[in-house]
Amino acid sequence: MIPPKFEYLAPTSLAEATAFLAAHPEEAKVVAGGQSLVPVLKLRLARPGYLVDLGRISGLSYIREEAGTIAIGALTTYAEIKESALLREKCPLLPQTAAVIADVQVRNRGTIGGSLSHADPSADMPAPILALGAELKAVGPKGERRIAVENFFHGMFATALAPDEILTEIRVPVLTGQRSAYLKAARRATDFALVGVAVRMRVGKNETCDEIAIGVTGVADKAYRPAAVERALAGKRLEPKAIEQAAAAAVQGVEPLGNIHGSAEYRANLARLYVARAIAAAK
Amino acid sequence: MLNFDEIFVTRNWFGKPVRRDADTRFVKGEGSYVDDLNMDCVYAGFVRSPHAHARLGKIDTSKAEALKGVLAVMTGPEVAALTKPVGARAITRPARQHVMATGKVRYVGEPVAVVVAEDRYTVEDALDLVEVEYEPLPVVVEVEEAMKAGAPLVFEEAETNVLLHDTLTHGDIDGAFRQADLVVKEQFRIQRFSSTPLENWAIIAKHEKGTDSFVVWANCQQPGRSIVNVCGCLGIPANKLRFIVPDSGGGFGIKLALWPYIVSQCVVARKVDKPVKWIQTRREHLLAGTHTPDCVVDLELALKRDGKVLGLKIRDRQNDGSFVHTAGIYNLIKFATMVGCYDIKATQAELMSIVSNKAPTVQNRGVGKPAMIFTLERLMHRAAVQLGLDPAEIRFRNFVQPEQMPHTTPSGEIYESGNYPETLRKALAQIGYDGVKKEQESLRKQGKYIGVGLSASIEPGTSNLGYYYTSRGTPEYMGNAEGAIVSMDYDGNVNVLLGSVDEGQGHATSVAQVVADMLAFTPERVTMNTHMDSLVSPFLGHSGCYANRFNDVDMGAVIMATKKVRDKVLKIGAHMLGVPEGEVRLKDGAVCSAAEAKKSAPFKDIATVAYKQILLLPKGVEPGLKEVAYYKNEIAKMPGKEDFNVQMTHSNSVHAAVVEVDVESGMVSFRKYVIAHDCGRHINPGIVDGMAIGSTVHGVGTVLLEEFIYDENGQILTTSFVDYMKPLAVGLPRFELTHLESPCPTSLLGTKAVGEGGAIGSLAAIANAVEDALAPFGVKVTSLPITPEKVMRAIRETKVI
Repeated sequence: MIPPKFEYLAPTSLAEATAFLAAHPEEAKVVAGGQSLVPVLKLRLARPGYLVDLGRISGLSYIREEAGTIAIGALTTYAEIKESALLREKCPLLPQTAAVIADVQVRNRGTIGGSLSHADPSADMPAPILALGAELKAVGPKGERRIAVENFFHGMFATALAPDEILTEIRVPVLTGQRSAYLKAARRATDFALVGVAVRMRVGKNETCDEIAIGVTGVADKAYRPAAVERALAGKRLEPKAIEQAAAAAVQGVEPLGNIHGSAEYRANLARLYVARAIAAAK
Repeated sequence: MLNFDEIFVTRNWFGKPVRRDADTRFVKGEGSYVDDLNMDCVYAGFVRSPHAHARLGKIDTSKAEALKGVLAVMTGPEVAALTKPVGARAITRPARQHVMATGKVRYVGEPVAVVVAEDRYTVEDALDLVEVEYEPLPVVVEVEEAMKAGAPLVFEEAETNVLLHDTLTHGDIDGAFRQADLVVKEQFRIQRFSSTPLENWAIIAKHEKGTDSFVVWANCQQPGRSIVNVCGCLGIPANKLRFIVPDSGGGFGIKLALWPYIVSQCVVARKVDKPVKWIQTRREHLLAGTHTPDCVVDLELALKRDGKVLGLKIRDRQNDGSFVHTAGIYNLIKFATMVGCYDIKATQAELMSIVSNKAPTVQNRGVGKPAMIFTLERLMHRAAVQLGLDPAEIRFRNFVQPEQMPHTTPSGEIYESGNYPETLRKALAQIGYDGVKKEQESLRKQGKYIGVGLSASIEPGTSNLGYYYTSRGTPEYMGNAEGAIVSMDYDGNVNVLLGSVDEGQGHATSVAQVVADMLAFTPERVTMNTHMDSLVSPFLGHSGCYANRFNDVDMGAVIMATKKVRDKVLKIGAHMLGVPEGEVRLKDGAVCSAAEAKKSAPFKDIATVAYKQILLLPKGVEPGLKEVAYYKNEIAKMPGKEDFNVQMTHSNSVHAAVVEVDVESGMVSFRKYVIAHDCGRHINPGIVDGMAIGSTVHGVGTVLLEEFIYDENGQILTTSFVDYMKPLAVGLPRFELTHLESPCPTSLLGTKAVGEGGAIGSLAAIANAVEDALAPFGVKVTSLPITPEKVMRAIRETKVI
């Protein structure tokens, strides 16, 4: 890697890190696992003056149950999420998603906090986080605040985080009695999602859909919840026909984007298809 | 020609899957690649054009030169003033090009200036400081635009963008089409793709001030021609250049074309008076390394109702980008094996090499044969469907039969051996052809779409290099040969050197197997230094690792040199034993008396005499046991349009693929894959299997994934492995191999081409399988790659992939 010159900082506390970010809001860039930032540094597409490495700040990597929710430290890696016995039992949607993110090397380095803060529109993690209605904790020089996930993603590579704020924790509910699935359309196993769909739902007697939440990534400038699909299925019996009809609204209200890997039209078609398939898989 | 039975004394190693112990150093990180060579180097980097086509204005290097650590900045025009233009081989129109841009830029990524600095970081920083004025020119990207009247010209002096346009007719082509019951035709578009070796291009150039000469280390695939080209461009005699190829991490043809960078690096090395290292980045490699040309191919088959093919026409418009050195080569290779495995009596090839504002192209794994066999085998499948014949049956009806071997094609290519019908029979048996067809029917009823595709292909080897010049008539090169030095050291062990290089194929292991069996001892006692050094390696003007030629001419040279050593060892040994020369033989690394086995002289003792106790040598025998030999394939014809063989060995294979198409998402996945393969005798079956599978993976990438995408402004959109998609192990089928061995009568070992076959034969097998799977939807495959989006659109609307 031959990046442009930058200064490397390794703070040992969040206070130190956020103070530095506050002093250099334009020039400083936070790095956690480096799986998104390092490739662009290598290509000199990003030219930060300072790299603030969170790796020496202790206490940011954990998965624990706290009062009916599960708290995940921002520096927790995909591999740790994939392997977590607690998550597998109480919130399997996250391990289901982590298992299909990129490859072993990326999963060993990449962090959930890094992925969400980076807000790549094709990243996998935003989809389940939306479907889970997670709550995100950010710390800045003035203290901490909690952000509901529906207010977190602002657009392509844009979030609710201020330049001097660091995402520190993700809280997700315990999914007792719920079913979930993450399905991803990609040309190759390790690729970004052409479309990724996370589903969690509570299925009642007679296969009725008592509660459903869906997160879709890869289609628009940010991950989103296809509200029309969720509404259409609520209280309905989960029959193939009903699922398919509901999934037809998968891109309602969003503007699908295209690139060389898939046009907007193709992604929209895939979204309808994969929303239906993900619901069927969760069922 | 030396008889096969005279080559070996033992048969302990030849044909066995000997482990590649000589290559474990590569996987342990103990190789010696260019970037591993540490000689107090300074570093080079290139300012590259952001425009596809532009007049080059003022280049201001002052800011870059002022940066601390920068040693020199030279512009393209400055380098051009000190060098001679690049030579063209196949094209017939005049086109002048230098190793760096001068006057104008012709593709995105063309080197405009070279920067040398003390470290790579400073190089990259300095590149941003070179200010270049560009006056953008209209751009030509695709062949159709490039051929239009009044199209912007890539090379003005050529007065056209079509730099080679020739029509070669063999047999009664008009008669064939007149007599046809059915003419099947299609236009195919094949994308730009490439190979992406693990190691990108790497060069160190050093100028020796005292002698005004150069030493170059480069991971070059064809040192012979590169030496000729570099000396030519620099205007220096060959004795002023020492050329060294250390370990090299994969080639696939792509490393045939790094020599223009060697030229510019020599120029700056002379200026800075220090060894200059350049390690190409992956982005540079994908952006402006070299590609396989994209092409538009119109193919026509004239058939009788029974499926017999009477004639074949190709119109090949090939987008050769912007490198005059290699333009036109693919056209001519396609023409050479255009009849594939079939006995077709009449052919016509209209060949056009078209330049554009895309990146340079170079010979890449299979060179044109992938496109040729893809189009031919697509059309054979189509013809079978139209005639109501089984795709296997139409092939059986047209194959060159084993009893016809050697078979000469209408244009003069000699298929020396092979059993094409048996190869297909083996493939059908292994894939369970009839069963798959039945399964297909029942799955369709459940809404699942599987298809089976066949592709019979020729895999030629050992180029007769005169083919480059068939349209020009003035061959600079012809035939093909290689040189080897085999020496038994003073301690009785053996060393081998070749003019060629190893790109990871395991040459050292294969050579040790053959030499060990020729000398009746063990491979551990044979060392092959796979590095090439022009000071000591016996090389020719075309020496190198390409065109599947190792098993033929490289091995031929090793065998002939080993035989010379063996003859001498026997002579000295007989003398030492006091036995007449005709009454000794080799056994367990010693010369022994045929009559009395205990009476023996180990190689060590013989070598001691040859090197140290030279007074004990027989009368008239020179000291030392080092022998050089050059070996040429004897069947090369003189270049000519009427009757000419472009390649000299011909392996063949049948690929059979079963795929499933998800008709909702357009995704294609594999269910089964069989390769029935005949490359004559195997030196090392493990290596053969590896090559057959590896090259097939290459083909899978070509069919389903890989594409260099350019927008209408000639900007390339695929310069990282996120966007230029290589196949991954996950998602590949388990390749099932089945072999035939039809020995090649014209190579010493009966071996023939191996290494490119899968990249040639797999394309149509997979595409035919996709078309077969989608038959209920009436979808036709006419372009590559077969992307899920194209599949989905074809099923829903267009009916064409």
